[in-house]
Formats: sequence, structure tokens, C-alpha cells
Amino acid sequence: MGGYLQVSTDVGEVIGGRSGEDENALPLNPKIITAHLTTLKPVRDGTPIIAIDVSSVKIGETERGILCAIRGAIVWNERGKYGYLRVGPFPFHITEENKREMVELARFHHPSMAASLLRLADVQDRLSKLMERWLQMSICCSSYGSIILWDGSLTAGTPDTPVSLLTRLLEIARRNGNSILAFSKVTNVRLLGRRITDLIWKYPPPCVLRLDDLTTLMKGQIRVMGNVYVVKLCRGGLPFRLDVDGGIPHSQGVLAIERILGNEILYQGYPETLRLAHILSTFTASEVIGIQRFIAERYNLKVIVRPSVRRMLFGPFGTRFED
Amino acid sequence: MRLYKKVGDTVQILSFPDEEVEKGSYLIIEDEKTGRGLITQVIDVQFANVPGIMEELLRDSAADEFMNGRDFDPFNAASHILYIQDSRILISKIRGMVEGGRLRVNNSWLPSRTRSTIRRLPIDSLIKLVRIERKFPINLGETRESSQLVIDARALDGKLNIITGKKGTGKSHLSKLLILGLVEHGATVVVLDLNGEYTSLGLKADGSKNRYHSKIHILKPGVNFKVALSRVNLPVIMRILTYSLDLPGISSREFRRIWRFLKERGSLSLHSLGEAIMGWKCNQHVKDALYSRYYALLHSNLFTDNLAESIDFGVFLRRMKGGGAVIIDLSDASPLDRKIIVEYILGKVQELLAQWKLRALFLFAEEAHLYLRETYWDDIITRMRHFGLFTTFITNQPNTIRENIYRQADNIFLFNFVNEHDLEIISRAARVDVDTVVSIVRDLPPHHCLLLGDVVKDFPIVVKVRDLDIQTMGETRLFFTKEKVEAGKGLIASL
Repeated sequence: MGGYLQVSTDVGEVIGGRSGEDENALPLNPKIITAHLTTLKPVRDGTPIIAIDVSSVKIGETERGILCAIRGAIVWNERGKYGYLRVGPFPFHITEENKREMVELARFHHPSMAASLLRLADVQDRLSKLMERWLQMSICCSSYGSIILWDGSLTAGTPDTPVSLLTRLLEIARRNGNSILAFSKVTNVRLLGRRITDLIWKYPPPCVLRLDDLTTLMKGQIRVMGNVYVVKLCRGGLPFRLDVDGGIPHSQGVLAIERILGNEILYQGYPETLRLAHILSTFTASEVIGIQRFIAERYNLKVIVRPSVRRMLFGPFGTRFED
Repeated sequence: MRLYKKVGDTVQILSFPDEEVEKGSYLIIEDEKTGRGLITQVIDVQFANVPGIMEELLRDSAADEFMNGRDFDPFNAASHILYIQDSRILISKIRGMVEGGRLRVNNSWLPSRTRSTIRRLPIDSLIKLVRIERKFPINLGETRESSQLVIDARALDGKLNIITGKKGTGKSHLSKLLILGLVEHGATVVVLDLNGEYTSLGLKADGSKNRYHSKIHILKPGVNFKVALSRVNLPVIMRILTYSLDLPGISSREFRRIWRFLKERGSLSLHSLGEAIMGWKCNQHVKDALYSRYYALLHSNLFTDNLAESIDFGVFLRRMKGGGAVIIDLSDASPLDRKIIVEYILGKVQELLAQWKLRALFLFAEEAHLYLRETYWDDIITRMRHFGLFTTFITNQPNTIRENIYRQADNIFLFNFVNEHDLEIISRAARVDVDTVVSIVRDLPPHHCLLLGDVVKDFPIVVKVRDLDIQTMGETRLFFTKEKVEAGKGLIASL
């Protein structure tokens, strides 16, 4: 390749990276909603629990574009024994010249948006999403009778998640007897101005609040493809928005949640497999430096440290992370 | 390796796992543009403060503990990540500067961080650079690079040396090596052997004679080392009475009179001395004091009236023309007798040196605090070395040697110490900075020694002291012998 690799001086302790997304930008604010509160009972039946998460991180810049790395993690829990498969990191060089090709590779090209309008960082997100969907597809196809946990929500119709793709994923999972559950760490869905996760605070755990009318909500092409719940799984734990495959009956959805309760370790009310998947896919600062070194060595790039403009301008007040 | 930081005389160098550098290694930071090089010595190796490393370790430990997993990493990026995580910071001390291939004293020069290259400086190259001569070679052993470290015996000549380290690290072994090295080059050596460790210097490990055998003389006080009182000069006997036996001033005056009286009559002997004290007209207390000292001299068995069984220590030393070592075996001597014997030897040696009957003498004193008087320490570092007495102290208790001795020592041979208090004491040595001593000495394996001072031209070097084919006598006598341990194993098996 030759040339230079420009890296930022601002390398924090943990870079973290873009990890899927918690909840696709769905600005829902329904006026009427029907909610059913159900108390949960743990079901200890040894159902395997599998979680998938993907992270991406910007490694640096070249004279032609950006360099990023993507890594995915699959973590499973089978009768209390945990295992994992980490896939990557895969480095990508995204340039103005190759971004169309990249987006087409992702096959989620949004007809309304020309590739030329996409920022390079958006292409990074698309690639990350592509890998996430690929891992999800692999698990949906190869697992039977399992609970599959995703990070985020079951929202479709976004540029990187067409309705057809998500529908297909859910169908395959269902055919193999799997239940897909998506946990959102943060939700923007509000009811009467309040976050839906606030609705469950006062109820004793473990409990689940079913929000029936959200499934039918649509905004443009964006659709919620699952039954939306708010769950609080353990005492002292946090409430989360939980989307369960809309193709399975409510009772089966609640049973899947009860199986998580019975077969999974919960940390602050969050499933351990999903937590581990996130931890294993996330990039630490030392990994970013290692990948920078790998790329510089393999492609004969000279690493140049880009001074932080914010730091230069604002000194100690220029603290926001720069792309 | 890359130059990272300089603070005072310390530079920090970033090093990667495939660059093998350990404590004590020398590095040269070369700046081609200026034609200069900075010689530094690694005194500590630390992990580089890589950002995110704590999170990485936490994640890995969690994954290792209760998860089975694998990584699909087709680009093998993990190896680069591990490479970064294992990077190290070498804390190094600036030892000198090279310009045009010659050593210069200019530690203020700072090489370029971006332009300079860093490489390991082999000890052999360092020795050539700093011009450590080998005209009178003593091979001490191997450096960590497996090259032989040979010092020049002249670096011990006229010098005050200290060999110290905790028990069982090889101090006596090194001193034996130095003694034989000096003997090899024709030097006269006197060893004050507290535990009889040096008595086999003339024998190989298998008990046969080695090439030094004829030059090693073992003197055991009371056995083959007795002195005729008539051959002892008054100043020597007065030193013994004053410093070893604490004879008060008035009593000393009376003793002098008695001695001169007997000398003038030509009847100076142990027997006549005893009788003279008994019959001397003086204060009863003085008489008692003199008589008690007389008995101490008598029971030391060092003195005799029988000329046939006595030796003239001065003549004995002067006969060793081609060099040799006299081992004074003090292993069976009581503390008081030890003091009398040592005081006699030092008095005699001083007399011989002052009269130029001896040119110079190397004295090896093990655990000297057990038999040397307080004032003698100052004598050694001030007066005695001008007479030609060059002392090497050997001790495992560094606090028994006073700070001013450390400060004026020309060579220090340091073995391992881990005790903070001991490290603090030895770090007072003026030949090197505290950090070097504390950091390197703490991690020295047994038989490895840090050399400081003239022998290495003030470039501290770690050496693994070589084996000697001599019979070992310094081993501690144990109750649980090998045979008993083997028998014990059988007993355990039967249970």
C-alpha cells in the first residue's frame, strides 16, 4: 500500500468501538399503549443461551480514507458452561473510491441513499452490521432449541437492516426452534414523555411488562419486528427494553425470558452471555495500537500521530473523543 | 528499541519482547548525525504503560478462568497485539559518552529521540572501549553474554576492597579466586580465616595437590604457628596488651619497664616474664592487671620459649619471594585469642612494611568485626595503605563495616541482598548510584556478583563467578545429610 497511517493522540484506556447499536433510531412516542405486567418464574431446563455482539473501531487515517477494524464474538452458555468464538479483528481500508463497492458488498444498499452521500464512518457501521448479521445468520442456522440473544432491538427498515433480511433471520431461527431476544441497554421509546424502562421501576422483580401496541407501530419504512417488553430480571438490577421475535406467541416469549432467568447468570439484570460477547468483541486501546502496528508493518505504512485539534484549541477542555 | 524519556542521569528506553535485554546489560544509543553515542546500563526492566492493558488482562483472565473458547484470527493480528502488550521500558543509567570511538566525560549530551538507534553493547566491546587492561589477568568468570570477564590484578593493588552479600551467595568463593589470582602474579597474601575455609586452597576437589600447593601455607596458632617471645618487639607486644587485652596506661608503663629490664639482662622469655611480674615492686592492682594479661598471653598458645617450635613470621613472609598465601586458621581460637593473634600479625606486618622488609601485602579479612579493634578500620583506610597493606573485607553483615569505609572503598564486589536494610547500607558506596545497587543486587542469582570500582573502571558489570577446582571447606556442617534424607524418603514411602 505504502504511504502513511495517521493515528490520533487521544487513545483512551478503552476505545470500546461501535458495538452494534442499542436500539435503532426509532423515534416512537405512542399516545396509547396497552401494558400487561407478568411475574416471572425461573425455568431451569438447561436451554442453551447464545449471544452475539460485534464491535468496530477506527484505527487511523490514510491519505485516501480511513482504516477500521471489526471483530465479532459469539458466547454460549450450555448448562452453566461458557464458551466463546471470537471472529476477527478484520481490518478494512475504506476510501472514497471503494466505499460504493463496500456498501454493495453489504447488500443492504438503501435505494434512497446514494453511496456517494455516505460518510466513510457510515460505511464502517455498515460493514460492522454486515458482520453482525452474518454471525447472527450462522447461529440461527446452526442452533436448535436455543435462546439467541442480540444486542439492540428487532427494528427493521433501517439502511443496514432491511425488513426482508430481519424477517428471514427470524424465520430461520423459528424453524430451528430458537427464540431470538434482543436486549437494548438504552431505549428512546417514551410513553407519555417517560422512558418505557421507567414504567417497571416500582414492581418487584423478576417481572416483565408487555407493551402490545408498539409492534404495530411504523414510521416510514421503519418497523418493529418483535414483541416489545420491559424486563426487570433481578433485585437491584436495571430494567431493559427487550424485543422478542414477534412470530412466536406471547406465552412462548415469556417462557424464553423465564428460561433466561433459570439458566443464565444475570449481572445487574443483564444476561452474562451477552455481557461477555460485548466484552470480548470490544477493542481496548492496546489492541488498537497492536492493530495499527500490524497494518503499518504489513502494508508498509508510516504511522503519523495526528495532533488533537480540540486539545490544541481548547487545552484541557477539549476532551470530546474525536473521530 | 526506542529512546523514550530522559530524567537526570536516567533514560527510559522502549523495548519489545523479541529484544532480549536484562538488568545489568549495556546499551549504546547512537546518533549517526552527530557521531556520538551514549552508553547506558539497564538497571530495571518494567512493563510499558500500554493504555487499556488493565481491561485487556481482566478480560483475558475472565475468559481463561471459566470459559473455553477460541479465536478465528486469519490475519494473526493477535500476535501484534500481544507484542504491544508485552513491550517493556528499560530504566537505564547513563554511564558515559562515546565520540569518535573514544570515551568522553559528557553526560549532558542528549541524543535524538527520533534519529538515534539503540543496540546492545556487548561487555567485551565495553571493556575495549573503556580500556580495562589485562596485563595481570585474573579471570573472574562469565558475563551474562557468556564472555569471559578478566580483570587486571593491578586494580586491586593499593586498593581497599569489600566483598559482601548474603549467606551462601559465593563471597568466599570469589575471595579464594582473587587470592589465587594474586598469588599467581607473585603477590604476598595473608588471609585471616575465621572458619578454616581457606585451608584447602592448595588442594584440588579430589584431594590431590594443585599447582598452588607449594605457595599456600596454613598456619594454625598454637599448633604450627608459635612465636618466641624473645623475638617479639616491644611495640608489637604493647599493641596486643593495649588493644586486645585493654591494659590500662599505668600498668602499660610498668610492663614496659619489666620488658626492658628482661631484655637488657638477655633473659626475655615467657617463664621469666611471669616471674618478673610476680616479683616486681609495684602497686598490687597493677601487678594483678599485669598478671591477668600475662596469663591471657600464655593461654593463647601463640607464644613459646622453645625456639625450635617457633617461627619468625617476618622471615616466613619474606621467604615467599615468588608470591604465596599465608592462611591464618582462626577456626579453633577463642574470641580473645583471635584478637591477640590478629593484633600480633598486624603489628608484625606493619613493622615489616615500615622497615621496607616487605614491599606490599594483600590482607583478606573475613568477618573482620569479630577480631579487629575499632580504631583499626580508620588505620586501614588512612595510614596502612600508604605502608603497603591492601585489605579486602569479606562479610555477610554489611552493617559491620562503617559507612566511611564504603565511601572510600576502591572496589566493591556485591553479591545478592534482599533485605532492605542491607541494601540501604551497601547503597552508600560512593562508586555507584543507589538505584543501580538496589535494583541489580536484589535480583542477582547465587554466584553472580556485581563488580563496582576500579576493576571495571566504574562501569558496573555483573559476572557469574567461575568454578574453582579446589576442595571446598566453607560448607555448613548439616545434621540432615544426603544419606539421612534418602532414608527419610524410604520411611515416607513405607507410610
